[in-house]
Amino acid sequence: MGELRVLFEHRDVPGIERMDVYESVGGYQGLARAVTMSRADVIGEVKTSGLRGRGGAGFPTWIKWSGIPADQPTERYVVCNADEGEPGTFKDRELMLRLPHMVVEGLAIAGYATNSSTGYIYIRGEFLESARAVRRAIDEAYARGYLGESVCGSGHRFDLHVHMGAGSYECGEETALMSSLMGERGQPRAKPPHAPLPVISGLWQRPTLINNVETYATVPHILARGGAWYASMGTERSKGTKLFSVSGHVAKPGNYEIELGTPLEELIALAGGVVGGDLKAVIPGGSSVPILTAEQCRGVKLDYESCMAAGTMLGSGGFMAFNDRTDIVKLMHVTARFYAHESCGKCTPCREGTRWMYRIFQRITAGQGRPEDVDLLLSICNNIDGRSYCPLGDAASWPIRASIQRFREEYDYWIEHGRSPVGDDSVPGIG
Amino acid sequence: MAANGHSGGGDRPMDTVSGRFSPEAVAELEEIVSHYPDRRGAMLPALWIAQREYGGSLPAEAIKEVAERLGCPPVEVEGVASFYTMYNLGRRGRRHLEVCTCLTCAVLGAADTLRALEEKLGIKVGQTTPDGEFSLAEVECLNWCEAGTVVQVGGRYFGNVTPDKVDALVEQIRQIQDTEAVTQADQIVKVQLARRHDGTADG
Repeated sequence: MGELRVLFEHRDVPGIERMDVYESVGGYQGLARAVTMSRADVIGEVKTSGLRGRGGAGFPTWIKWSGIPADQPTERYVVCNADEGEPGTFKDRELMLRLPHMVVEGLAIAGYATNSSTGYIYIRGEFLESARAVRRAIDEAYARGYLGESVCGSGHRFDLHVHMGAGSYECGEETALMSSLMGERGQPRAKPPHAPLPVISGLWQRPTLINNVETYATVPHILARGGAWYASMGTERSKGTKLFSVSGHVAKPGNYEIELGTPLEELIALAGGVVGGDLKAVIPGGSSVPILTAEQCRGVKLDYESCMAAGTMLGSGGFMAFNDRTDIVKLMHVTARFYAHESCGKCTPCREGTRWMYRIFQRITAGQGRPEDVDLLLSICNNIDGRSYCPLGDAASWPIRASIQRFREEYDYWIEHGRSPVGDDSVPGIG
Repeated sequence: MAANGHSGGGDRPMDTVSGRFSPEAVAELEEIVSHYPDRRGAMLPALWIAQREYGGSLPAEAIKEVAERLGCPPVEVEGVASFYTMYNLGRRGRRHLEVCTCLTCAVLGAADTLRALEEKLGIKVGQTTPDGEFSLAEVECLNWCEAGTVVQVGGRYFGNVTPDKVDALVEQIRQIQDTEAVTQADQIVKVQLARRHDGTADG
């Protein structure tokens, strides 16, 4: 366990974003092998690998892939969710910037495996630098026959288009992303049991495969070296490696690739350790997952099951570490503001609840908190959680609820004394 | 104004549309339209083209032109444009500074950086300098948390910005000669076009 580079093996090779360098280190061999196999065998390889979606939910990738009705006479779409917006996460930005061909190769394999001839990569509007790298990679891939009318000479057609977002966290949610790609406001759609899954009825009511950037970037390695090889890394149920974006109070913030199941403390050590004080709390998987106390972090391993057992989630891998000078209530004030700003407004519990929570945080950190406010926050969390079309509402409630359960004394201090328990210089600008 | 209901599949002849799209912009739009099964699919790209063609913002005429070119009601175009934060429906400076004050940036002191920028520019968040050169906004996560505090100006990201670096940052931004919103929109359009249309492919 520890740092283990699969996706990042050649990240630092000069020019790796260009075709000739990428090919020289084995690039596009996964695609070349895939097109010699049957579609079922390609998906079988992904199944053997145990790969799970890297966007946050951890859903088994092969189940999505095999859910696409590949033989029906209809158009099918492959979509790459490159709308990275989860606070604390910046892995997809770097993947596209440094290793765009790995993403393009993964998409081409997915197009072949699902018998889809059109793909879209939906890139966050702000990520212009990454988008330019992806554009160049796509153009180079067309020129080399990895995209276009006959992918690797297989006779399978696959066109890949770049679609730029325009500023909306909500569009990272897959049904909202589809709305946005079809030219609508980025709002979510009904899901099972009220509506079919995107693999049955997605973009323009056609079967649509959506995966995260990192998920697609992993696929070429699985095809080139075999699903069994990939499954030899990680834990029983969390296979392979995962990128973690480490930020906050650490000496060397950045993206690190580790084997799933690596102890949390080891990732902090990789990032140079905690600075400015001792560790107080960790948000391991982006702003949407429950916060852990330093005590809870001890012995926790970074894989889907261990994080769940510890009372949090692996999420997107947006790992934020905070030192003991950090005011948790102020941190949650910022979190509540984020979700109030980003709620798309479709579902009442989320639209209203996120704003109520933000207003309560505003008065608590202004020294005007009321004794009933903490219970009121918990009540609002309970009324948002599970009551909206998409997980944004859940994501707005989980961190707040966990912070109250785990740092209740800080809320009580704020409400009783009207000031921060750790000092005014923590999280400047709030309070 | 023809309204094709909600189908979004309008097919109006392009030569009847009046507006500010140049012939090149119309050609770009038509290529992008070909990426989707209906014209409505090109809504976001069309709004990016319009933001460039209309000098960095989307006035009512821009909304109307996009609606006509895509064959859908202007109210729908406005509904979409107003949903996304990067479409500029209001007044912004030629250089629009967006300061991330989300989680990691917040704990690393983004608010201090923001105050320093307000002081340096002589404006508050949400305002534009009287000469129209600068405007300032507070934004949520820009997802480059390893370099907090992050400031974005058009398509450019500036990382590790602290209050003591604000003077140098503003001077650096002052050197940018073009209108940031126009350049950004242009580049966003270009990455959605295949290379043969992209003179900046190697840039």
